[in-house]
Amino acid sequence: MWRVTTFIQFAVLGLGLGAVYVGLATGLLLVHRATGIINFAQGAMGMWGAYVFAQLQVDGTLVFPVGQLYLPEPPGVVLSLFIALLMGLLLGILAHYLVFRPVRHAPVLAQVVVSIGLMVAIQALVVIRFGPNNIAVDEVVPRVDIALVGVAVSGRELVMAVLMVGLAALVWVYLQFTRAGSATRAAAENERGAALMGFSPDRLAGFAIMLSTVISTAAVILGSSITGLNPENYTLIVVPALAVLLLARLESIALVCVGGLALGVLQSELNLVSTSEWWPTWAKSGLDQVVPFLIVMVILFAFGKRLPSRGSLQTVRLPDVTLPRIRLLPAVLLIGGAALAVSLTSGQIRFGITSSMIMMLLALSYVVITGYLGQISLAQLAFAGAAGFTLSKIATAWGLPFPLAVLLSSVVAILLGMLVALPAFRIRGAQLAITTMAAALAIERFVFGNYSLTPPEGNPIAEPMIGGVNFAVREGRDLARLEFSVLVLVVAALAVLLFIRLASGDTGRAFLAVRSNERAAASAGINVRMTKLIGFGLSAFIAGLAGCLIGYSHGQLSAESFEVFVGLQILAVAYVGGITSFGGALVAGLIAPLGILYVVLHQLFEMGNYYALITGIGLMITAILHPSGIAGEVHRAIAALRRKQRGGPAGAGTADAAAEPGDDPSRKDPSHAS
Amino acid sequence: MTEELLRAERTTVGYHGVPALRDFSLSLSAGEMLTLLGPNGAGKTSALLSLVGLLPLMDGQVTALGKPVGKRFPPYALARAGVSLVPDDRGLFPGLTVREHLRLARRRPSKAREEAVFERFAALRSLRNRQVGLLSGGEQQMLAIAKALLAEPKVLMVDEMSLGLAPKVVQEMLPAIRAMARDEQIGVLLVEQHVELALSVADRGIILNHGRTVLAGPAATLLDRRSEVESAYFSSAESVEPHGR
Repeated sequence: MWRVTTFIQFAVLGLGLGAVYVGLATGLLLVHRATGIINFAQGAMGMWGAYVFAQLQVDGTLVFPVGQLYLPEPPGVVLSLFIALLMGLLLGILAHYLVFRPVRHAPVLAQVVVSIGLMVAIQALVVIRFGPNNIAVDEVVPRVDIALVGVAVSGRELVMAVLMVGLAALVWVYLQFTRAGSATRAAAENERGAALMGFSPDRLAGFAIMLSTVISTAAVILGSSITGLNPENYTLIVVPALAVLLLARLESIALVCVGGLALGVLQSELNLVSTSEWWPTWAKSGLDQVVPFLIVMVILFAFGKRLPSRGSLQTVRLPDVTLPRIRLLPAVLLIGGAALAVSLTSGQIRFGITSSMIMMLLALSYVVITGYLGQISLAQLAFAGAAGFTLSKIATAWGLPFPLAVLLSSVVAILLGMLVALPAFRIRGAQLAITTMAAALAIERFVFGNYSLTPPEGNPIAEPMIGGVNFAVREGRDLARLEFSVLVLVVAALAVLLFIRLASGDTGRAFLAVRSNERAAASAGINVRMTKLIGFGLSAFIAGLAGCLIGYSHGQLSAESFEVFVGLQILAVAYVGGITSFGGALVAGLIAPLGILYVVLHQLFEMGNYYALITGIGLMITAILHPSGIAGEVHRAIAALRRKQRGGPAGAGTADAAAEPGDDPSRKDPSHAS
Repeated sequence: MTEELLRAERTTVGYHGVPALRDFSLSLSAGEMLTLLGPNGAGKTSALLSLVGLLPLMDGQVTALGKPVGKRFPPYALARAGVSLVPDDRGLFPGLTVREHLRLARRRPSKAREEAVFERFAALRSLRNRQVGLLSGGEQQMLAIAKALLAEPKVLMVDEMSLGLAPKVVQEMLPAIRAMARDEQIGVLLVEQHVELALSVADRGIILNHGRTVLAGPAATLLDRRSEVESAYFSSAESVEPHGR
């Protein structure tokens, strides 16, 4: 056993991480207070400035998103710090005007999606501009040992904690005692009221975002001097910071400080305890992500109803949904077209088309859960991964035959989906997004990345055989067999059929009712909880099928296929394609990572990390300008064309018209003109 | 002729392209009290919102303090320039205290002004440290008007002050506002459901129905012509004829 002194030393070390949480959660709180938006990109935004700082220290290069400046020699720490914080400030201003201001009054879905787009884009940009590897960051706070109650502890972490708590206290003073701060709080409660008292909620929001980015940049700079910087760790550190934000009930800076430091200490102590002999080996990996997830769950169950929501000026409707119908001709054309495409191509192109079909299924699972049911789930790829890993276990170890193994694996995904649906009983919107993202990260680190559960040497999957015919993706030198493509096409077609059958009937109507107003749905006799369970189950089932197919298409499973970031990218393409229709999922499949467009573009020129950057930016643009995505725009264009042909505005597309508040002035009442 | 503070010329406003108020005109001068009357859905609140720029115009023009209201003269700038609207939700912040409301209302704190407001709304004095969400409806309405007056507005617009208030309180508050308007040369625009009460204190009245102006004139005249006012109130959409502005 260890002595008490070791515990104290680890507690102090944990304060360093805790200080980062305090900085990020304070920034998150400030942004939420001023705009009502939960900014998933908070960590990524702080990371940019930290990279600028690190690069200045390494070789005196001042890197901008585009272009760079070579300073004759690396500037000192103070000057570098100043430049990095200034860059953070500029980033905050840019993010306010280009990203957050346009979605201030958009539905929560658009706000969450926009901040995720920003997160994906910044992360990709960091990889492009600074490289994917870990870089060491010079210490800002010198390393000294000091004596605390007779124990020699690291002074650096203590100083960091004091610094970040001090900054958080400054934010508290701003919100509590300055006129602008009071106005920010006022605007959070009643935005119109604040405007009527002479405050511009936009400017208050801009200032808050700027301030929050600077504080988060400081936090990441301090934190990265301990851990080093890589594009992933500080982007995803937003998840524990979001847990702290929920702990503070989105409004108390004092609780942010206490919670942030406590979480850091807890994780540090857990790392210590998990090295002991009695600690089970299967529970060693990913502990640092499981703890925030458990915290989020406990908080939501304990105070789920008391979390404050924000009063806003106006709410815009969600993108339109139409109930799908099975139409024979388009279905035959689509399936025939896909069959023709895979039979006429070969090699990489055929593999790309096949991947597109699989990605279409993943996007469809987002369409079900987000487009139809209105719940923001960021865990769809985790469901897919769970099914894939189950498949690798049962198909290989138990030798279950093909269709049975896939169905059983997808049932595992369904169960997981229903488990994640439980918090959705009590919460919705951005808070559900936080929960599902924490869940996805916990599953990724604790299960997929856990070597005792999923050995690193690989998780081979037995080849799918039906009646003696081998449907495996590879055989000899053929890397994309037609049999496999046909198998994928059949599974995809059946899944889409299932979706349309359910979505066009009472279930689909219940989804839409829950999406637009849960209370109204309940008063109309719809069992909201059951509907959510079905929705999560159905979407997890579809994702699970996709996960199994991904497994088959690689011949084995690796955790990389199911990383949270990949899931966010697929959400991005699902949203760009159109989150509210099967057509959107189809478009998403075509443009998804590893899909056909990706493969073709990749052959033409080296895209590298620009693909992630483009999807991130595309996601933001779609969410801001065209909430119904590419499919929705095409649909609208066709409807407009038909109307023109019929020669009159009557009849068609009244729902479309209402969805466009932007073009009101052009729609004058004809009777008024006379 | 006193200074004209607010002017709407043949404005049309609405929601999602559907007009809620058509061809609306109004002029308000310093020290004048104008009341906007009409049944539910007549377009009164839409009129107020469009006057401060919270509802974009589909047609026509609004001029406040000599400047056109629009993108370059947004709602918060209007409020700073002295055009105060007490909206139908009272524009209060439940989590903030009375004191914080009063501080937000004024750019430069003025003890004298605060005292003058507390003189008129004595009940607020003892509630200064209370959260506004805990105040009664009457106290909230009082605070809403007090904070509007604290900002020394040139134009004061109040949407349905009588909503949720005891008739006795309304009977006390309306003359208080009337007096303040005359003393400080504030132009006041009241939206009301209590026809008689409103017309008894106002200088002029405009009656809206189904989004159109159906009757307008000096308050005394309108009070005399009760039957016309009543028929304007209860007329159906088809029979509404714009006349007598």
